[in-house]
Amino acid sequence: MADRNQGEKRSPEQHVRALYEDAESNTARAFEEFVSKPSFGALLARSAENVAALTRIGSDVADLVVSNLRIAGRADITRLARQLHRTEDKLEPRRRLGLKRR
Amino acid sequence: MNTLERIARSPVTALEFANVLLTTDDAVVGATEREVIWTHRGTTLYRYRSSQRQYPVPLLLVFALINRPEIFDLRPGNSLIEYLLGEGFDVFLVDWGSPGEEDADMGLDDYVCDELHWAVRETLRASGEDELTLLGWCIGATLCAMYCGLDRGGEQTPVRNLALLTMPVDGRASTYANWIGNPEFDVDRVAQQWRLVPGGAVDFANKMLKPVTNFFTTYRRLWQSIEEGTARREAYQPMAKWVADNPAFPGRVWSEWIQMMYRDGALVSGRARLRGRRIELGRIDQNLMVVTAGADHIAPRPGTMPIFDLVSSQDVTHIDRPGGHIGLIAGSAAKQEIWPVMADWLRERSER
Repeated sequence: MADRNQGEKRSPEQHVRALYEDAESNTARAFEEFVSKPSFGALLARSAENVAALTRIGSDVADLVVSNLRIAGRADITRLARQLHRTEDKLEPRRRLGLKRR
Repeated sequence: MNTLERIARSPVTALEFANVLLTTDDAVVGATEREVIWTHRGTTLYRYRSSQRQYPVPLLLVFALINRPEIFDLRPGNSLIEYLLGEGFDVFLVDWGSPGEEDADMGLDDYVCDELHWAVRETLRASGEDELTLLGWCIGATLCAMYCGLDRGGEQTPVRNLALLTMPVDGRASTYANWIGNPEFDVDRVAQQWRLVPGGAVDFANKMLKPVTNFFTTYRRLWQSIEEGTARREAYQPMAKWVADNPAFPGRVWSEWIQMMYRDGALVSGRARLRGRRIELGRIDQNLMVVTAGADHIAPRPGTMPIFDLVSSQDVTHIDRPGGHIGLIAGSAAKQEIWPVMADWLRERSER
């Protein structure tokens, strides 16, 4: 009864808004169900593979262009950063030994 | 406000709406004062300054490899770190940094056996204590559990208390498993091609779990709250900024994570190994607190529950609350609802 009274007090605008929110939450549920299907997963996975492959091709081409222009490219910077990492990796155990001696 | 008024006000609402979105990047996230204790590669260990430490056992916070750890310190007045400092804890935080291509070969073993192990060592050194509390959240919680479950040839870990927040242990029944658990999806090849999985791609996948809510309803609600004059810019913007800040996921660790979590369930079956050392969650004998969220779609509760059958801890506390993966711990209600419970648990176990 109380619900009916509340319902009667609602303005047409409130009714429209409630209907809209119902529709939105139903759509959200439907989409969540759709994306949880393995077929959607397969589609998403294949798209990710394609994007990754395209990114790699683009990156390789860009590196080739840059290195042919005799400019240090991303690959060169990555190589240098890896060398720094290796040095840091070698220093870390020495640091541990230093801490133990202290 | 009736429809005509709404229409009349819509240009003002649109301006305000655009302003909130366009100035989101200016929001201050992670404002609590801190100092750098140790760094290695991209990893940094921070200590938060406090003048009211009461509990000697330090607390080391570990967040996921996706998104930034500033969620622990979202905004002044709504920061877990600020709260814990106020309660008298000595707080440290591991920040995994923003991996570059040079980090693409980092695997789970690097994070657990090196970075986390060394962060624990440095936390003990800086605090002058022999034991600590590890508090992990999301993938960070899984890394902490792996660290405690790692075979050390009989050597004890210095972890006294282990707090695991919304942690995935077995994701094989989740939506993610439907997406990437299929063996036809060549994870290793994608990881090699991408080298670093872009943070945006991981964020997009997370949002696709609830596409309408994440891509539409969030903005519709913001519009509505502006229209009604109830918008809280200071709460919306830091969270929106944090959500949009997605560091890349190193390719190797991404592929290992998918394999372990969504394909073979190696963590629960006890077959996971790092550098030849076996990880058995049964080795976890610390005081254990596990927090699960009822509406967590990223690490759903059923994917966390197996931990209770595996650990050998005598002191186990399970806190289960309604809420989402992030909102439960960092939402506006967390300060009243969940932080005091967590602080009580820590307080009882952080005396010398």
